[in-house]
Amino acid sequence: MVTNEWNIVIVEELVFVLIVLPFLAAICSYLIRSGAVRSFIVLATGSLMAASALLLIPRVPFAFSPKALFGVGVHDIILAADFFLLFLILYFGFKHHSLVIKILALFQIVLMAYLEFFLIRDDAAFLTIYCDNLTLIMVLIISIVGSIICVQAIPYMKNYEEHLDLKKSRQHRFFFVMILFLGAMNGLVLSNDMVFFYFFFEVTTLCSFLLIAHDGTETAIKNAVRALWMNSLGGAAFIVALVLIYKEMGALDMQRIVHTSPAAGLCLLALALLCFAAFTKAAQFPFQGWLLGAMVAPTPVSALLHSSTMVKVGVYLVLRLAPAMNGTFLSQCVALFGGFTFLAAAALAVGQSNGKKVLAYSTISNLGLIFACAGLNIPEAITAAILLVIFHAVIKALLFLCVGTIEQHIESRDIEDMRGLYAQMPLTALTTVMGVIMMIMPPFGVLLGKWMAMEAAARNLYVIIMIALGSALTVMYWARWAGTLMSDPFAGRFRPERQPLLTWAALASLCAGGGVLSIAAPWLYSRMIIPALNGNYVPPYTVHVGILENSFGVFPVLPLCLVAALGFVISIWAVRRAARARIIAPYLSGLQTAEPGVFRGPMNRLVKAEARNYYLSSIFGEERLTTWINLGAAVLLTLLVGGAL
Amino acid sequence: MFKRMITESRIKSPWLLHYDCGSCNGCDIEVLACLTPVYDIERFGIVNVGNPMHADILLVTGTVNHRNKKVLVNLYDQMPHPKVVVAIGSCGLSGGIFREAYNVVGGVDKVIPVDVYVPGCPAKPEAIIDGVVIGLQKFHEKM
Amino acid sequence: MINTCALILAGLVAAPLAGGLVNGLDRILTARFQARVGPPVVQPFYDVVKLLGKEKTVVNVWQAFCAYCYLAATAISVVLFFLQSDLLLILFIQAVGAVFLVIGALSSTSPYSQVGAQRELLQILSYEPLLVLVTVGIYLETGSFKIGQVYAWDEPLLLKLPFLFVVLGYALTIKLRKSPFDLSTSHHGHQELVKGLLTDYSGPFLALTEIGHWFEVVLILGLCSLFWATSWIGMIIIVATTYFLEIVIDNVSARMNWRWMLGYVWAMGLTLSVVNLVWLYVR
Ligand code: SF4
Repeated sequence: MVTNEWNIVIVEELVFVLIVLPFLAAICSYLIRSGAVRSFIVLATGSLMAASALLLIPRVPFAFSPKALFGVGVHDIILAADFFLLFLILYFGFKHHSLVIKILALFQIVLMAYLEFFLIRDDAAFLTIYCDNLTLIMVLIISIVGSIICVQAIPYMKNYEEHLDLKKSRQHRFFFVMILFLGAMNGLVLSNDMVFFYFFFEVTTLCSFLLIAHDGTETAIKNAVRALWMNSLGGAAFIVALVLIYKEMGALDMQRIVHTSPAAGLCLLALALLCFAAFTKAAQFPFQGWLLGAMVAPTPVSALLHSSTMVKVGVYLVLRLAPAMNGTFLSQCVALFGGFTFLAAAALAVGQSNGKKVLAYSTISNLGLIFACAGLNIPEAITAAILLVIFHAVIKALLFLCVGTIEQHIESRDIEDMRGLYAQMPLTALTTVMGVIMMIMPPFGVLLGKWMAMEAAARNLYVIIMIALGSALTVMYWARWAGTLMSDPFAGRFRPERQPLLTWAALASLCAGGGVLSIAAPWLYSRMIIPALNGNYVPPYTVHVGILENSFGVFPVLPLCLVAALGFVISIWAVRRAARARIIAPYLSGLQTAEPGVFRGPMNRLVKAEARNYYLSSIFGEERLTTWINLGAAVLLTLLVGGAL
Repeated sequence: MFKRMITESRIKSPWLLHYDCGSCNGCDIEVLACLTPVYDIERFGIVNVGNPMHADILLVTGTVNHRNKKVLVNLYDQMPHPKVVVAIGSCGLSGGIFREAYNVVGGVDKVIPVDVYVPGCPAKPEAIIDGVVIGLQKFHEKM
Repeated sequence: MINTCALILAGLVAAPLAGGLVNGLDRILTARFQARVGPPVVQPFYDVVKLLGKEKTVVNVWQAFCAYCYLAATAISVVLFFLQSDLLLILFIQAVGAVFLVIGALSSTSPYSQVGAQRELLQILSYEPLLVLVTVGIYLETGSFKIGQVYAWDEPLLLKLPFLFVVLGYALTIKLRKSPFDLSTSHHGHQELVKGLLTDYSGPFLALTEIGHWFEVVLILGLCSLFWATSWIGMIIIVATTYFLEIVIDNVSARMNWRWMLGYVWAMGLTLSVVNLVWLYVR
């Protein structure tokens, strides 16, 4: 594909920076235990990765096979590392007395050995690294958003450890895993060889385990073990799929799988198992437990897991495989399953007052929507899915970092405790509200994606009903939160609070990124997403002066952005004028006192007026819904795998 | 011209807040009688909004006492300008028959400025409507 | 180009005027139902002009911001409707307005505002999915979400989507906050919630929300008109009948609580939509 020799060299270097460099940097930051050096390493690696990802843009698509790394064959390295990894998981199984992990790890070791030593012969040669636009989008997300999160983690962890009063810093270990994670993610999306893919898949599993267990508390360990076994289940499904595929096709070449339809002899069961693996990674029901449990870790971990890494493995895998599933019953099942998850997770989010849990359920919900799109498998839906992947990564990272910052300040993650946050941390509160707005309002990217998804789903009765209900629930939990953040009492003048520079930098870049990308959505669509469809789908929309249009729908992105910007300016002007208006106390039946929100009750006593948000826990509470939702999801999963048999 | 339009509209759309300071409920019933089909004050655009934030005219019935004078002031403060206060009934005017009671401050005008006084014990609905209409004329002066 | 400008202007100027008049008629009719005479038909304009001329008082500046955003969003949605844009997109944009109104009310510490806002969220939760399903039905019938093409369809949609029209009726009643769905705020303020959602908006900012509401009324009637778009007379009749029915329902029913609303509307709305949509699918 790439004709120029010189170009190949550059590309190989860039890929090296994207995959191997993080591994080396991670080891360095583990060994050198000096805060300054570590910060430097994180910043340098982050910027190098971001730069290389950007430099890749004009060079896609490309494919090559790296022959050797430091003189050793790449395949051998991966193989050795893979076994090492599996044994490590087995070790953790023993250490934490988890029978499930032990069994799953052993199962994977046996199958891996069977696959590698008895099945695979070297005659089927193919290129092991492959990068098209879909990969490129993922690489950009991982390298840029992931790096920003790591950068924000520098001040965050410093503060965090000071707060915990640790005798010995554990940051070297923390950043070791964080950077490693980014490298593994890049490796995963760039691999074309399924064995490589599997290896990186397992690395992310292990990394998430280590990160969740970071604090070493009892809950942390418990949740980490749960994450490990759930994801190992995905790993096990993955390796079974590999064996099946190899027996069927004689090669573990991702591109060949994608271009072989089930009609042409691809094993449908293998695809179903790969989808299953993707669902575990993406914490879809009934595997939501591990992602919810991941909250115990420091917030940058959640930000990383939820936005640019880990859960995105799942959607990437399914999006990658979507062309192969086209027109199958499996694809319909995925759509149904995704729609169900979208609705169920949104319902659970409504019942939560814990901010991080709301974010977690919203992640699950959004990923469900992406799966639904991938399952619908028509050009509009795939476009929507890719858009949602991009925007969800940016904005979810922003929101998590905001909540982390808020949590360090008010020492609570409960939405009710964030009431009137504007008075304490105006800038962070505003940024959070901005994030929420970008999540639920046009003309921002997430809504653009949702619009495409709805129009694409309109021909599928079940899916559209679930999406319609789910998106109304989504509006409810986000709006409630934004309102709570901006509630009274207001500080007189706008005085931004003090935060470390790196925190501001991270928040500002993500917030601005979300906005700019939304405005640039038409460009993004024609420049990045159409090529990412790889000719498997007809480009669904035409772009004309920033207006996306197809035969049955139209979304004037650019005009709307302009109008929105105008409206925004006017509103700001209105606020400035309103600042001169007379401030009156909220209505408290005339009993209000000089103190905000306090009224004069019986016996002349002062009483605080309190109103809490409706969480409707009698309808949407976790205790009430979770069992049923898990049951429903299990039925759908059985349908999905069983239907493929 | 805008000014004239606005004044005109003010006169055409008086929104009421009715506050019962400590009346025997006689005057209150008469106030509410104005809302019935017999009198139908909505003909004049009058609406009982029950919320100081939205109101233009404050109707006060009953005697002001030490407990509720703060409430009265609070409600008055929460009304955006221009606003008119109508005191209703002997109690609202001067304290009425409760005037000598130990807890009583007196008429409404002891606490907030009153624009129109509507006498009676209780005041008749016609008189109350009349009082509101006179109050509306005050908007001309309050520009 | 000139055409577009004219349409935008129509959306921005004519629409609120029409909405205000409809509101005035509503008040007169309601009064007649109650054996009263009622205010003049231009009463809503008096109210709004008066409010615009009042002193600016706010609970906090954020609320002013929200009032402007609400007005802007509703205006944009109506303009897009006049420009015959995408139905689903218009729904999204009107939702933006509704959300800003809620956020503004939540910014006050007054329990009346707070509870009103929460109830409004529940109202949004009740009608949003129904509106989406109605547009989906329209799409299945006409093959497009674009209003231009829906108007160009040569058969009245009502004949094919009768149940969805009923569903739209539910959504409208909630959206217009008519009884039995006037949970978040009602036309009469002296109730347990005072004015609910709108309690702490005052003066000019209250006027903005009122104008925004006029835009919403027009948008809603526009949605109704889609169901008999083949002739002007049909359009007028369907819009007038629907609105008249709304007023009747408003007058004959009492307010219900949110549990009932959510349960009843979702159950009825979804059942009716599914039945109607299945017809369209099997065809
Ligand atoms: S004036 Fe008479 S009727 Fe009115 S409140 Fe006083 S005592 Fe009651």
